[in-house]
Amino acid sequence: MPDAEATSGRAARLPSERGEPAEITVDGRPVGCFAGETVATAMLAAGVPAFSHRNGEPRIPLCNMGTCFECGVTVDGVPLTRACLTTVRDGMRVETSER
Amino acid sequence: MSAAHDLVVVGAGPAGAAAALAAADAGLDVLVVDEQRAAGGQILRTTPPEFGGRRKLPTGYPWAGELLDRARSHPGIAWRHGATVFGILPVTADASSAGGADASAGPGSADGADASAGPASAGFDVLTSDPADPAGSGRVRARRVLIASGAYDMPVAIPGWTLPGVMMAGAVQGFLKSQRLRVADRVVLAGSHPLLLIVADQLLAAGARIEEVAIARGIPSPVELLRALPAVPGHVRLLGELAGCVLRLLRAGVRISTGTVPTEVLGDGRVQGVRLARADRGWRQTGPARTVEADALVLGYGFHPSTELARQLGCALDWDSAQGGWIVRHDAQLETTVPGVHVAGEPSGVAGAEQSRAEGELAGLTIAAALGRPVPERALAGARRRIRSASRFSGVVQRMFAPRREALLELATPATEICRCETVTRSTIDGFLDENPFAGTADAVKLACRSGMGPCQGRYCESAVAGLVAKARGTGVGEAGRFAAHIPVKPVPLQAYVALADDPAEVP
Ligand SMILES: Cc1cc2nc3c(=O)[nH]c(=O)nc-3n(C[C@H](O)[C@H](O)[C@H](O)COP(=O)(O)OP(=O)(O)OC[C@H]3O[C@@H](n4cnc5c(N)ncnc54)[C@H](O)[C@@H]3O)c2cc1C
Ligand code: FES
Repeated sequence: MPDAEATSGRAARLPSERGEPAEITVDGRPVGCFAGETVATAMLAAGVPAFSHRNGEPRIPLCNMGTCFECGVTVDGVPLTRACLTTVRDGMRVETSER
Repeated sequence: MSAAHDLVVVGAGPAGAAAALAAADAGLDVLVVDEQRAAGGQILRTTPPEFGGRRKLPTGYPWAGELLDRARSHPGIAWRHGATVFGILPVTADASSAGGADASAGPGSADGADASAGPASAGFDVLTSDPADPAGSGRVRARRVLIASGAYDMPVAIPGWTLPGVMMAGAVQGFLKSQRLRVADRVVLAGSHPLLLIVADQLLAAGARIEEVAIARGIPSPVELLRALPAVPGHVRLLGELAGCVLRLLRAGVRISTGTVPTEVLGDGRVQGVRLARADRGWRQTGPARTVEADALVLGYGFHPSTELARQLGCALDWDSAQGGWIVRHDAQLETTVPGVHVAGEPSGVAGAEQSRAEGELAGLTIAAALGRPVPERALAGARRRIRSASRFSGVVQRMFAPRREALLELATPATEICRCETVTRSTIDGFLDENPFAGTADAVKLACRSGMGPCQGRYCESAVAGLVAKARGTGVGEAGRFAAHIPVKPVPLQAYVALADDPAEVP
């Protein structure tokens, strides 16, 4: 069971049943997560400060339903993949985007 | 991969699921495409199967479980989940080997099913993209299409709203409901839609500290409440749920401020505080702002219908602020101005889950009738009755919580980014309008200023851009117009186009 307490300000997993532990990398760094989570959940829970950038400004998910594209990351080489609509897979490679 | 379906439904929310079920029950072969992993749309989002445990659907919609179960197990319905419909192309009659696809005049047609009396369309190619699964990319032939693409939270541009930690109410609720994730510890919520209170209550239950809930409007007046009464029967549970939320928030000591708007989001690299100020009955700031420290600001001012596919297809739209902005014009059969293209749920006017489901049912039935399937008059009458009953309630909600768009627009200062994607500020747009007195449309601003040209394709700036045009020209937002939509209506990876080339879409 992941820790419901997190650093102040950060997103936190609630106590709840989750899938099997999994690991993805975000910009090369390992990020632990659970099967069934979206890439957005994994990154928010890990405290990744920016999913994408617009003109240098950091952005994280705004809509969580596929309409804003602020969560656009590169997943296994495919750019502008919406983290909020993508389910994690063990070994998935995620790169945040600069723009 | 090529396939031809009687009906392709875009969206698996209450509207799309109900439509698919009604159409399949009447004998049509249906494909439902949705970007989400599972059916249910926004309102019926649940945790993924990997999390185990029992499916927990929201209370207040007793039909939801059965609708989803029946639709999912129906042999006449195929599903393509995790796939985006990025365009729909009408097929010209000679390109179609299927011949005249429509049987509008056939026996069993329902009342007025000749709405598509225009040139009989030979069908549509629906273009889909699934970045995770090549089998989900390609084109699918459909005799009719139904746009049941739902709605998204209404964007409101305020200073600092691009800071990480500003999130839409729907986003926060989605993380809670389907991922069991609390997006932040200390939260301010600002808005006017009843959903805001529900989300505040859910955040509280999830252990967040609700620093303040800032509601733009005042408390409903006795006259408003009296007017609402006739709409209540049948929706008592929903209203009761709302009252319960308020009670729990107040009991927990949460400050709920009416007549209050957010004037600025503070922070360096992420949200650290929110400035809130008193507003008058028209939602215009009256007093000085005060600072509330927080890690997140949740915005909930209502919903905009997702109409990009209808636009791309050339369907007529009408401006109706209370119903969510630009809505897709349709007849009593829910057919749009493009023959063969139908609409149900929020794109026909934001009216909530109950009405979405009833419209979906009617659309499924009328499409089946138009394709020559026998549809009992009784079933059509039942669906129409459910729409009428739902619309009495949604009408009240729309009136009571209608956004004051002009006042919200004034929350944007000259330096505020109107277009988040291309970081175009209000002063850039106002400056262009000043220098070009003949520019009078949202599309003109888009071309000149790039607002609306980024990955969200204008979904998050169109209303503000049109509002600025309307203000500068002294017209209404409806006259200032809207952005056109083209293929792809949402950015898709290159592979999606490769899949199209691989796929000559032969009709079997
Ligand atoms: C978080 C949230 C909470 C809400 N709570 C309530 C509530 O408590 N009560 C209420 O009455 N209403 C509520 N609403 C309003 C809500 O929109 C409707 O009640 C209901 O979900 C509408 O059903 P629908 O079928 O019309 O659309 P939706 O449920 O929004 O379904 C539309 C579906 O279409 C899909 N889609 C859209 N475009 C594409 C595309 N191009 N390609 C593939 N798929 C696409 C989406 O992924 C989505 O699943 C809420 C909305 C949100 C966002
Ligand atoms: S958060 Fe908006 S598209 Fe993912």
